[in-house]
Amino acid sequence: MTPAGCMFAYKRNIRKVYMNKKTKLGVALVAVASLVTGGAIATSAHAATYKYYIAYQGPLTGDNKQTGLDEIAGVKYALALYNKANPKAQVGLKQVDDQGSGPGASVVAPGTAKDKSILAIVGPAFSGASVASFPYYKAAGLPLVSPSATRVTLTDPSSTDFGGPVFHRLPSKDDKQGPALAKYAIQGVKSPVVYTVNDQSSYGTGLDGYVQSALKALGHAAVGTDSVDGTNTTLDFSATISKIKDSKTNVVIYSGYYAQAAGFVKQLRNAGFTGIFASGDGTYDPGFIDGAGDAAEGARLTASSAVFQDAGKAISADFKKVTGNAPGTYATEDFDAANIILTCIKKGNTTRAKIQKCINTGTFTGLMGNTIKFDKNGDTAGAGFINAFLVTGGAIISKGQI
Amino acid sequence: MHTLISQFWQLTFSGAVQGFIYILISLGYTMVYGVLRMINFANSEIFMVGTFATIVVSRDILGHQPNSGDLHGFTLIYSMLFCLIASMLASGITAVIVELVAYRRLRSRGTNRLAPLISAIGMSIVLSESVSLLTAGRATIAPEMLHKSSLFTVLGANIRVDQLLVFIVAPIMFFGLQRFVNHTRLGKGIRAVSMNEETAKLMGVNLNRVISITFLIGGLMTGAAAFFFETVYEATKFNIGFNIGIAAFTAAVLGGIGNIRGAFVGGLTLGLLETYASAVLGSQWKAITVFVVLVLVLLVRPNGLFGEAIQQSRV
Repeated sequence: MTPAGCMFAYKRNIRKVYMNKKTKLGVALVAVASLVTGGAIATSAHAATYKYYIAYQGPLTGDNKQTGLDEIAGVKYALALYNKANPKAQVGLKQVDDQGSGPGASVVAPGTAKDKSILAIVGPAFSGASVASFPYYKAAGLPLVSPSATRVTLTDPSSTDFGGPVFHRLPSKDDKQGPALAKYAIQGVKSPVVYTVNDQSSYGTGLDGYVQSALKALGHAAVGTDSVDGTNTTLDFSATISKIKDSKTNVVIYSGYYAQAAGFVKQLRNAGFTGIFASGDGTYDPGFIDGAGDAAEGARLTASSAVFQDAGKAISADFKKVTGNAPGTYATEDFDAANIILTCIKKGNTTRAKIQKCINTGTFTGLMGNTIKFDKNGDTAGAGFINAFLVTGGAIISKGQI
Repeated sequence: MHTLISQFWQLTFSGAVQGFIYILISLGYTMVYGVLRMINFANSEIFMVGTFATIVVSRDILGHQPNSGDLHGFTLIYSMLFCLIASMLASGITAVIVELVAYRRLRSRGTNRLAPLISAIGMSIVLSESVSLLTAGRATIAPEMLHKSSLFTVLGANIRVDQLLVFIVAPIMFFGLQRFVNHTRLGKGIRAVSMNEETAKLMGVNLNRVISITFLIGGLMTGAAAFFFETVYEATKFNIGFNIGIAAFTAAVLGGIGNIRGAFVGGLTLGLLETYASAVLGSQWKAITVFVVLVLVLLVRPNGLFGEAIQQSRV
């Protein structure tokens, strides 16, 4: 928008002689509009000033902003509880909007790295944005705790995507989830015939790959696979569903996010499919059931996370009161990530280097009472627990580890 | 390939339903192009407004909730009619506003042809971002009014009641519109402006009125498409119009933009082609196939299947 706005203004300036008051107002409006839209990608701070800040980095505008808004609510809630308990040493929040994309991240990361008041970041939310941000944060020694970036290579020291030593993450990697999802999906099914579907996102195709190789290893290689448009703007899955029905499938494994999964399973059931529908942590969200209704019944889901609501009704209600929204996707992980950083700050670590050391060596307690400790590559030590869930009576019911 | 053969009629039926939705939206593009020789880039958001109107009426005004159970009998009929009319009106009014804001003023000041395109894109961004702010960027789920029960099976194709509804009502609306344009006084006005704006003005056609009405009709049709879309897919989002808008625009170009019959053929062809391509090559190849075909058609017939070369037709 900015270049177009400038060009418009420039052209108008050339023809200054003909400009009347109204056009001047128009030019001013265009300039303001371009500033506003151009400014959306920049960091923004709260009005009150604090000595120290943590930042949240994720998609706060653009097509994926739903995830970002759900996530930042978890951070805000953790911060609200912390600031209430520590009124004299309050910590502020800076919002870094990378729009969930690599290009978006490389615009905002340099400025964030330079801002010395930011001690650590909850994020980046997405894997692609993480890779694009790493060079800046590594150079600035800015510690990161991601609630949701699951690409395997981010914590692989032999990969160019490696985010160490600053990068840490809470979720299990997809190479752990894939096999668990494959195993859970065909559990108890006599002669399973499996079809896999992904949403073409890097998360979906990645997870689908691990699911497929796990299925092969289990001796039930997928009879077919298809990719659907995951932008949630195309809702017609009839061709994919025809293929699934044609292949006499009795198990469908969907790798993608919940909004799309809800529409997909609805159409799948409407088309008369009676087999098992299974999906990974992208679908592990109350929104899946809201969207799919009865069609969600019996869906098998896996996630290395826990639904925030499982922490209790009182805390969920308080979350909604404080943030204005009910806890959504990855709220638990965001809450935990923010608390890890805040615990370190509370211990008196007020430089990036000290917080980095505190995160690397410390032992933390998560919302669900679980113990969190990071290994040298930034994964949670002993990570690999994947929980199985079953949609029963309109609720996601935990079936324990798989 | 196997799927295409064994599920041919099922795919054809689903593709046709999708195609009929494209046809109605592509009318929004083609009608406006017919009179203004300009593309209404805001039509995708006019569609989006219609999908939200359907949901707001059925959920907030009529009080149906997602998953609160299906409707039957009289309640079902009046609920659906009410939603259809609301969706058409919301889209139609939005289209008229788009014309007033993005086109009329620029036209009256005699700007070049590119300025209104940019202002239409601006309107489109304003609409989608406003809805995005209102809905926090989330998908909105529509209440299920019509139970998606399968009625009967024809040649192995499972005919569902919601799809059948689109299959029957959408063509009726299309042919109704065609009759209107061909046989009424207003329709003649639209055609006159489309043929030659200056002469039409000299003959006493009120240009601004005809253009507004054209936008209104395009919007009404797009709104009907939005209602059908919600009946079948039951969800929407602030950016829902983007892909479907491109598809409908493609359909209009394929059939020959500015030509109403062309929109019909283009929409249907596109719907079928997409579905067949997804079945044979995989859904990820859908868009590629469609655009390869579009380019090939335009190489042979630069004005689309039904388009006339404008210069020639005026001689």
